[in-house]
Amino acid sequence: MTATTTPDVHVIRAIIARDLRAVRRSKAVVIPMLTVPVILMVVLPLVVGYTARRASRTGARIEFLDSLPSQLAEPISSLPQEEQLLTLVLGFLLAPLFLIVPLMVSAVLAADAFAGEKERRTMETLLHLPITDRDLFIAKFLTGFLPAIAVSWIGFACFAVVANAVSYGIVDGLVVPNTLWLIVIFWVAPAIATLGLGIMVRVSARCRTTQEANQLGGAVILPLVFLAVGQSTGLLLVDAEIALAIGALIWVVALTLVVRGASRFTRDRVAGDS
Amino acid sequence: MTIQADEAPIVTRSLSRSFDDRVAVDGLDLEVRRGEVLALLGPNGAGKTTTVRMLNGVLTPDRGEARVLGLDPTVDGDAVRRRTGVLTENAGLDDRLTARENLEYTARMRGYSIDEARTRVDAQLARFAMGEMADLRTAGFSTGQRKRLALARALLHDPEILFLDEPTSGLDPAATREVTDLIGTLAREHGRTVILATHFLGEAGRVADRMAVLDRGRLRALGKPDDLAAELWDGVPADLDFGGPVNQAVLDLVDNVDGVLRTEARATGATIAIRDRETMARILAVLAAHEIDVFGAAVRQASMEDVYFALESGFAAEQR
Repeated sequence: MTATTTPDVHVIRAIIARDLRAVRRSKAVVIPMLTVPVILMVVLPLVVGYTARRASRTGARIEFLDSLPSQLAEPISSLPQEEQLLTLVLGFLLAPLFLIVPLMVSAVLAADAFAGEKERRTMETLLHLPITDRDLFIAKFLTGFLPAIAVSWIGFACFAVVANAVSYGIVDGLVVPNTLWLIVIFWVAPAIATLGLGIMVRVSARCRTTQEANQLGGAVILPLVFLAVGQSTGLLLVDAEIALAIGALIWVVALTLVVRGASRFTRDRVAGDS
Repeated sequence: MTIQADEAPIVTRSLSRSFDDRVAVDGLDLEVRRGEVLALLGPNGAGKTTTVRMLNGVLTPDRGEARVLGLDPTVDGDAVRRRTGVLTENAGLDDRLTARENLEYTARMRGYSIDEARTRVDAQLARFAMGEMADLRTAGFSTGQRKRLALARALLHDPEILFLDEPTSGLDPAATREVTDLIGTLAREHGRTVILATHFLGEAGRVADRMAVLDRGRLRALGKPDDLAAELWDGVPADLDFGGPVNQAVLDLVDNVDGVLRTEARATGATIAIRDRETMARILAVLAAHEIDVFGAAVRQASMEDVYFALESGFAAEQR
């Protein structure tokens, strides 16, 4: 890092604007970035929610709840029986999939922003411009972070509309959001996006093409996706304080990765690699 | 030795840089005057691009120092880069953007407001006759169009120093002439200092005030093209056309003629150095006696190419 002054917002904004404009024109980036959220946040809740709605009308007991510790099962088992299945499916079981979105979007954009510059052979031109290493890193980080958060939040808004529409008339009130959902959306999801970026920054430094970065990054990120999917239902069943603490832990890991990535992101190193 | 701030726009002392075990630039001493065009000449891997990168603060030297416009590029990289323009070997255009967008982005990065950026970009597009292509994505551009656009981008902010890395590679002869003329104009009429990294001797000879010949990171020769030719090329250069590649036996035959100083095989024959014009008559007599067909024989002035190959032969001999 060569700079000790405040970040040059003008230059950072110019890079982000250019990168996002270029990304919007790249079908290879946009299609997977939007298809997965649409499937996870709209199509899947619609299909699964509709199926659960039909099953809820029978008023059958959910035996799965018996296998959970009573403390975890309590938020659902305390509901009227016809609400339990819809609330379980839409409010808890589909929730983990939500965390895939910020992870995936940030990873795809980070691969494009770092390895993509090398692949397109535009990195050297960028290095010859008057921008500090730190500002360049911040711009590239935000190029991945901001859309990841935007897509996640817009996706969640769509999910909330679909989930509440599907459960209308059966569940009394809204299925989502509740306090824990809000923690997941506004606290955990940005941490997950940062984690994805932290990983991809490191991975992209070793790769020469976007495809290579995505493949290598996928190998690191996929286990994290499974971990997130496996654990986040539990996250929605615990106390808000615990959910906040888990989010904080993810933030610590993610920021450590990002800060380390930033310290290694020097012109000299990038030019030597490109 | 410490470089004084009021020296020439570009000064280097013992500038060196390695990558792992490979020495890219080794103890480079240079001084480039204001308004001068210096050609950095050498084959691929000679250290030309690494030198440009160190002068513009992109790479940090392992050893030695540089001053560009009185600044240390390692410490004041951004300040240096604000006053320099760079044309990289690859045009480095984002093919997802239009020509105008590529330039506007650079203008914004250089601190111009949206209006200023548009004005400058329009002026550059007009200057390089690219107005009609302004709103086309650069993905479909030819090599020449890409180079022109990249050159327009390098000149967008009217830089005091220009680093041009292979500016004419991939260009047709007319476009090459346009670019070399422009480089000359920028230096002579506008006082810009130009570092021209190239392996094209003709380009260097036509436009450069001085040539620095690099090989494996070391400065092998530095001077005016004509002085270098006189200093490095002894004898009279001549070409022999055999209508195809010459075999070693024929080359040895020529080499053994009295008055032949050097021989070098070429695609259609050989380039040789002879002591005087009379030597050529003896060579032709020997070749005729051995019934070897000669399609042409010419004695000429030493060219940049001759100088370069003489230097290269010297480097190779040193390596052996």
